[in-house]
Amino acid sequence: MKDLLDLWSRLPEQELSFLGDAPVIYHCHHFNLFLDQTVDDALGPKRGPQVRFAAARDASYQLLDSLMQANGAQTPAERMAIAESTFAAMGHGRLSIGASGGSGKAIGEHLHYGRAWSEKYGASVRRRHPADTFAAGYTAAAAEVAAGLPRESVLANEDRCIAMRAPRCEFSLTPGEQAELRPDVGVQATLAALGDLKPEPGLHEPTIGAITETLRSFLAGVRGDQHGLVQNFGVYITLHLASYYNRITYDTISQVLSTAPKMIDVLESLFRESGHVCVFNTFGGILMSPEWEGAIGDLKEDPEEIVAACLGIARALNFGRWTLREYVPGERLVIDTPSTYECPYYITRHGTSSRPSCYFLQGAALAIMQLAERVKWTARPALTQDYYNQLFRGGAHWKVEQTRCRTLGHDRCEVVVSRP
Amino acid sequence: MSLTNMNKVVEGIAGLRGVFVTLMPDCLLFDSWIRGTSDWIAEDIAAYFGDLVRSNREGLKSIESWAADMQVTIESADTLVVLRELEGGLVASMIFDREIPMGMVRLNVKRLLARLKVALPSIQLEERPRAERLLEFLERYAPDPHAVRMRVALQTGISLDVLTRPESLSEAQADDIEESVKSILGLDSLTY
Repeated sequence: MKDLLDLWSRLPEQELSFLGDAPVIYHCHHFNLFLDQTVDDALGPKRGPQVRFAAARDASYQLLDSLMQANGAQTPAERMAIAESTFAAMGHGRLSIGASGGSGKAIGEHLHYGRAWSEKYGASVRRRHPADTFAAGYTAAAAEVAAGLPRESVLANEDRCIAMRAPRCEFSLTPGEQAELRPDVGVQATLAALGDLKPEPGLHEPTIGAITETLRSFLAGVRGDQHGLVQNFGVYITLHLASYYNRITYDTISQVLSTAPKMIDVLESLFRESGHVCVFNTFGGILMSPEWEGAIGDLKEDPEEIVAACLGIARALNFGRWTLREYVPGERLVIDTPSTYECPYYITRHGTSSRPSCYFLQGAALAIMQLAERVKWTARPALTQDYYNQLFRGGAHWKVEQTRCRTLGHDRCEVVVSRP
Repeated sequence: MSLTNMNKVVEGIAGLRGVFVTLMPDCLLFDSWIRGTSDWIAEDIAAYFGDLVRSNREGLKSIESWAADMQVTIESADTLVVLRELEGGLVASMIFDREIPMGMVRLNVKRLLARLKVALPSIQLEERPRAERLLEFLERYAPDPHAVRMRVALQTGISLDVLTRPESLSEAQADDIEESVKSILGLDSLTY
């Protein structure tokens, strides 16, 4: 089987990456858990997991189908082995799938969502529903791809989950009716959606570029450990499928707009919060890591240095070519990008939008300002839940507005952070 | 400023680290005394121990073993905590150094309670709206308290603006909020 790096491609001008034909990004457990939770809060405990399962199966099929072709894998056993090892290499845990003709069982050990949920919330909250819907969707897609079954025709249910105190996760697979197929958002669709816009250099470009290259070199060697997990910088990291995040986000937005439009502002705020909690913890963890100190150097109490560093990190994690346009200490931050990982999906599957749609960029920009302005880096605070609550429970110190968006027909996406 | 003369109440009580008087059922701090300098947050301590006493009361009632003079004793690594319901909807939480012998603690608790009975004013209890108590309970225990009202809004369909004025909510809306709080905390029932 080819290594992940051999199956990797990148659109350098957009800083977007693909594994096989699937757009991929690195995301931490804070983001993964909060985004799933928001979908369930909006759609309820039954419909939410259904939407998430459909998205996971859809995005995973696109990934696995392209990986099988790239590897020339022919037999079901060969294909299933590639599916299982890819899942672990991406940091999602260990899956062992026994399926034939769309029926069967799968066992999950150390699955990312269940394990991370247990560690983050398990001591204070009792979970009532399984946490590993992404693994369920991936398992169903693997069964389809391995056996050459119609796309999106296998159902998988998580019967036992470590987040509900089971010793391991267990899934049952059954054949189902084929779901409605949607156009894939791969390399070609991304190029078609974005056109040939050339990026314009922004402030601190050499610094940002150097950080991106350094961090990208480090990430290139990162794989799941013996449990299929990636633990770095104080978080669990996954290489994840952008189309999963995008589908659950925009399907939820569509449903809330049609059934409870008054709730859309709250929903968008919570989607922003998933980006905020992610960037605060992951970027903060990277900035304070020994790896950072070794490769880049000590952090000084310089907010502009933190902002530039965060943009370099964002590019290395495949979030897009985030560019610094303006930074006024204590007052204002302007970031733009030729595209986010969100836009190609939206444009391909939904067309143009009536509202700015880059929720992750919005929340991330807010968090970058918080990291730059409110964290005393030389004191090296522990980025704990208590610290996060202490900083953000008292209300907003900053607000963010997305002033341009590719989904609105603009030539770039732009966010402005300022005082409320 | 202390509502009661707490310095006089605790005078001569050996090994005492703190006293917290909680006003029930809302678990609000009524008065407190803390020895020396400390990072303790009196409002939080009053709220958590108030909740604990309430849960203890409900648990004992469920096994038909509750009595008004029940007392909860907690032995932690470096403290000994005694919780006691007082008349008039109050709860006293008394925290002692761990090395104080239990017999001495019991004696000191008795003295403290006698002094508190004299010192505390009689209170006319006015119950706050159920929705308000529910939201405060949730914010005390939810893992992401800064985002939790937005989660309730999304789950219930009650706007954030309305949630900031819980006294205006109907009983049906309070029921929805209670379901949301149970869902967020993963609880089958609430004592708040």
